[in-house]
Amino acid sequence: MLETFLDHQWKAFWRSKNKGGTIATQIFIGIIVVYLLGAAFFLGFSMEIFITQFFPGKDIFIVFNGVILYYFAVDFLMRMQLQELPTLSVVPYLHLKIQKKKIVNFLNTRALFSAFNILPLFLFLPFCATAISDIYDPFTALMYVVSILSLTVFNNYAALYIKRRSIQNLKIVPLVLLLIIALGLLEYFKVFSISAISNRVFGFVATYPLAGFGFMLFATLMFQLNARYLRSNLYVEELSKNEAKKTSTDYPFLDRFGEIGTLVALELKLILRNKRSRSAVTMSLLFLFYGFLFYKKELLDLDKLELMLFASVFMTGNCISIYGQFMFGWQSSHFDGLMANKIDIRNFIKAKFLMFTLFSTFTTLIACLYGFLSWKILVIQFAAYLYNIGIGTVIVLYFATRNYRSMDLSKGSTFNFQGVGASQWVLGLPYFLAPYVILLPFSLSGSPYWGFIALGACGLTACLTREFWVSFIVDEFNKRKHKITEGFREKS
Amino acid sequence: MILEISKLQKTYGNRTVVNIIDLQINAGETVGIVGNNGAGKTTLFRMLLDLIRPDQGEILSKGEQIARDGQWKDYTASYLDEGYLIDYLTSEEYFVFIGSLHKMSVAHVMDYLEQFQEFFNEEILGKGKYIRDFSKGNQNKVGIAAALMQAPELLVLDEPFANLDPTTQIRLKTLIKSLKQERNMTTLISSHDLNHVTDVCDRIILMEKGLIIKDLRTNENTLMELEAYFSG
Repeated sequence: MLETFLDHQWKAFWRSKNKGGTIATQIFIGIIVVYLLGAAFFLGFSMEIFITQFFPGKDIFIVFNGVILYYFAVDFLMRMQLQELPTLSVVPYLHLKIQKKKIVNFLNTRALFSAFNILPLFLFLPFCATAISDIYDPFTALMYVVSILSLTVFNNYAALYIKRRSIQNLKIVPLVLLLIIALGLLEYFKVFSISAISNRVFGFVATYPLAGFGFMLFATLMFQLNARYLRSNLYVEELSKNEAKKTSTDYPFLDRFGEIGTLVALELKLILRNKRSRSAVTMSLLFLFYGFLFYKKELLDLDKLELMLFASVFMTGNCISIYGQFMFGWQSSHFDGLMANKIDIRNFIKAKFLMFTLFSTFTTLIACLYGFLSWKILVIQFAAYLYNIGIGTVIVLYFATRNYRSMDLSKGSTFNFQGVGASQWVLGLPYFLAPYVILLPFSLSGSPYWGFIALGACGLTACLTREFWVSFIVDEFNKRKHKITEGFREKS
Repeated sequence: MILEISKLQKTYGNRTVVNIIDLQINAGETVGIVGNNGAGKTTLFRMLLDLIRPDQGEILSKGEQIARDGQWKDYTASYLDEGYLIDYLTSEEYFVFIGSLHKMSVAHVMDYLEQFQEFFNEEILGKGKYIRDFSKGNQNKVGIAAALMQAPELLVLDEPFANLDPTTQIRLKTLIKSLKQERNMTTLISSHDLNHVTDVCDRIILMEKGLIIKDLRTNENTLMELEAYFSG
């Protein structure tokens, strides 16, 4: 039975219509996976060297032991964010003549197929097999492996269990988060330290290898807890959604824009009420920290501002490129309705411009905090901002009229390649190369400021001639309107 | 003449899904389109609403080509499938949005929805749910009510009776009949339910593999005639 289920899942994975989409996407995903695993493997094998490099004079084993629980603490946090609940895949089987126990078994087995469960093997096993086996003995190494595997399994089911509980009881998530923050603060204020605990625990395992079975016990208990909970709650309703009361909202400040404002309000709700769009926008806010990597004091003092061009364009406009690259796919599920209703396409396109402008203004205002580092940053960011709202928006919307892929908004956006097509891959090139094309001739011929002034001027010109660009996009849209609606009708 | 279709053709691959030489719909008619799956009903509707580009032929709405300008959207309302519903809105938000496209104020919309109380059967308004969390039947109700709310001269509904409970089916039929009386509304309905179509429509078009093979004025024999066709 289990094999049949897994076989179905395997087929579902390979046959899903929009999976990866283009070959380019699949190759890209493949490369990323190989890279991550390779990096983990490399890290695992050269752990000894790394530890001596980074913690000179410290005992290798103390550092290694200290790291293990730390890793699993972070791993747990990541899982809470990223790991998907594989529950909905069982819906088609619930009404069939199949024992609940088997379905639960399937769910639990299915949950093991996750990158989170492979990574620790690559990271920790090589060290166990080499260093620990050499210094202590193979049996101790084996028990280390058992402990690490058990911790992985424990984390896997603990994260799923908490996520499942949170579906029925929304209070759990804030509670768990509070607990984690409290632990983090205790660690920060040195009340206690995870690494010290980790060290003590694994030091104990090193002296009494049989203690490793203790972890196995914990893992089994967690597995049982999760399985029992699933068995008694195997109803579609309880597996998938919560019943918080939803209320209507409106955004009065958009009213002054008339129909355009209404359309922007509609899209703001789309972003806030769907998982994938929400995580895409959150991600673009996280990228605001980019500045700490790129805005270097030395470079600023030397006026090497061109080096910060990418960072400034990306930070002030990442919401445009990250959210905009999938446009109009976000609305694919109701695109027929939008087209058949009395919506002026011109207003539809203008609404996109307005929304991008609002987004970009918002992120730019936040990014202005970097002005505390140097006033020069404000200058380059302002130029980048003008480029984004003037030219960036046009580039994004032009590519949007060539995007025929529908999107499923109910999944998160990290590593989600559903709905990715050629236009997303090509989009980045003109978007991030154009600023260099404008800037370089000026900044090479003299002071870098001329380059940024030129960039800002180009952006401003595009803003002032926006009516023309709107017409341009509307024409492009009308040319391919039917192809877009047809593409969006094909759901994955 | 509210709709004129001539030499309309659509092919996918080597399969012709719609091939209509000539079809005219008069203002005030209630037209039912019947036919088995694959007859081309939905494709025809989508072409009427400019959602699919025909390979050949033209569609005139009040004498204007629908593909050329959006005038027809002022007086045409439609509900084909869930692809019309903005599923992350509450039902109220959706009605207000659709209303705003026709310059209706929020108060106006809420006032209008009063008339639908009976039709909604207390299932739609004030439920504190997004449309995506409604059942299929209730989603259907939202879509149909939103279409009717636009006070259209031409109404296009694709299988409106599917997924509706019997009470609502009957209420919908009464609604369509009375709107035809009051406002001379033209309605195009596709349906698999022969009883309903013959009951509500005064003209029935039978399609098969993209072709119109019968175009009947409804009378007491129509139902029998249709049943004879479909059982044969």
